[in-house]
Amino acid sequence: MELVAIFISAILINNFVLYYFLGICPFLGVSKKIDSAFSMGLAVTFVMTITAVVSWVINHWILIPHELDYLKIVSFILVIASLVQLVEMFIRKISPPLYQALGIYLPLITTNCAIMGLALLAALRDYGFAEAVIFGFGSGLGFTLAIIIMAGIREQLDLADVPAPLKGPAIALIVAGIMALAFMGFVGMIK
Amino acid sequence: MKLSTRMVVVLTSIGLLSGSFLATVGHLTKERIALNKQREIEEAIIQVVPGTVSSQKLYEERDLSVYGGKNEEGNLVGFAIHASGIGFQDKITLMLGTNTSLERTNRLAILDQKETPGLGAKITDHDSFLKYWENRDCSGTISLRKPAVSAAEKLLPSEINTITGATISSEAVLSIVNTSLEQVREIIKEGKLSSEAQDVN
Amino acid sequence: MSTKAAGQEFIKGLWDENPVFRQLLGLCPTLAVTGAVINGLAMGLATTFVLIFSSLVVSSIKKLIPSQVRIASYIVIIATFVTVADRFLAAFFPPISKSLGPYIPLIVVNCIILGRQEAYSSKNTVGRSLMDALGMSAGFVLALLILSAIREILGAGTFFGYQVMGAWFEPWIIMILPPGAFITLGILLALALQIERRTKSRK
Repeated sequence: MELVAIFISAILINNFVLYYFLGICPFLGVSKKIDSAFSMGLAVTFVMTITAVVSWVINHWILIPHELDYLKIVSFILVIASLVQLVEMFIRKISPPLYQALGIYLPLITTNCAIMGLALLAALRDYGFAEAVIFGFGSGLGFTLAIIIMAGIREQLDLADVPAPLKGPAIALIVAGIMALAFMGFVGMIK
Repeated sequence: MKLSTRMVVVLTSIGLLSGSFLATVGHLTKERIALNKQREIEEAIIQVVPGTVSSQKLYEERDLSVYGGKNEEGNLVGFAIHASGIGFQDKITLMLGTNTSLERTNRLAILDQKETPGLGAKITDHDSFLKYWENRDCSGTISLRKPAVSAAEKLLPSEINTITGATISSEAVLSIVNTSLEQVREIIKEGKLSSEAQDVN
Repeated sequence: MSTKAAGQEFIKGLWDENPVFRQLLGLCPTLAVTGAVINGLAMGLATTFVLIFSSLVVSSIKKLIPSQVRIASYIVIIATFVTVADRFLAAFFPPISKSLGPYIPLIVVNCIILGRQEAYSSKNTVGRSLMDALGMSAGFVLALLILSAIREILGAGTFFGYQVMGAWFEPWIIMILPPGAFITLGILLALALQIERRTKSRK
């Protein structure tokens, strides 16, 4: 598959949140304000791109050559968990302003299924190195796009009179459903 | 014991236990998983190249493999082309059976797809799509008849009926087939198709 | 532990602390695999297997694990059982393994499992942890079955692959597509909240 196709498909067509249902927790949890949604999106994009690189290296240099396929899940999850810690320490040292913006979101990402999902999907589809990196970056952008739109809608929703039982996650899920419906319009655009 | 030593000891032993346990599980299931994959391919070959009793892998690259189907006497009865490409939603993987001269199709099977259920997913349906692929002229490129005609006899020998409401999925399958046929002809011309290929395994 | 207490540990997972409807945990698999009942059931059972065995192991070795490394230890234990489930399905049920794709390995990041280890198994006896794991799993399976039954019946007119709707029924394809998953779960959450409000106001 061409790189451009992978990139566009990861952002719009097979959107991580709206098509694969990955990263629903931060999508619902951190989408009340556009600012925080934007920071969360950036943090996820950042970690996803790095994860794509690291998981590719582990899979192709260690797991596949030594036929250690059965250690994939364990090694991916451990690497992602330690990676997020490293990134957090690194950002704190290098760029305090960036840490201020992303800091509190980074620990939340460790158990974010979108990151693990990215590593697994890239391995499942047998992507090459460049493809995996583009896929990781594009998926992160797709997540950012979805969470920002969601936050924009929810800011307006605060002013609306939502029936009591629908308040909170229920209406958010229904809004997400309508967004997923809208994103289905992109399907087929790269064909 | 000091806390830090205890931490290291506990983590190491958990890691070792888990690793050796998984090695056992991995070892026990490895053959069966490989067998399942092989069986899936073999069944598809038998389905698309009728008369096949054994098959051999003749060529392999990413997104394209060519298998040869052989009858009981060990003579080649046709090729099975295993190819994938982008569909409406995601990747489509298919297996196309042809005769030995790559001029006529035998049958088509869709092995993997994520097209829209009820619309594009009809590419896996025999009556609405797959039956049109049987015994087509594929010496040139195959084309789609749009809009679909109700009587299959009206189709040209190299034409396929479009699925109503799922033109893009039909086109996606068509383009995967045409591209892979083209590639296979090129491979044969360059003599890259191994004649003494190993058995499928 | 008395039978009554054990029953309590089990029953709370079904409704009062239902992981999906009440705690909003494990939403990713709940949304992703519920297009067909068979997939929902397979996911539910695989998660049950992982949760039960992780809880058994964690509750029996909880005293050995220093609290600083407990999360890392839990993750390794959970990932081990997830791999077992994944390999087992790939070896013996290849069609299910194929249709669930990456979602079986993703059980490893299902917050229900890590959450129960941290909140329950690390503090309670083996017996109680087992009952808790059974209850939570039952609640999760129940949620998956409800959602997948609604989506499969309305979206394909079938239940477990068998035709249940008459020929007059035009399937609502949207129900088995991603938007159907979000909207159905949203409505179910609202229903759950409404039932909870009703029972509370009656008390």
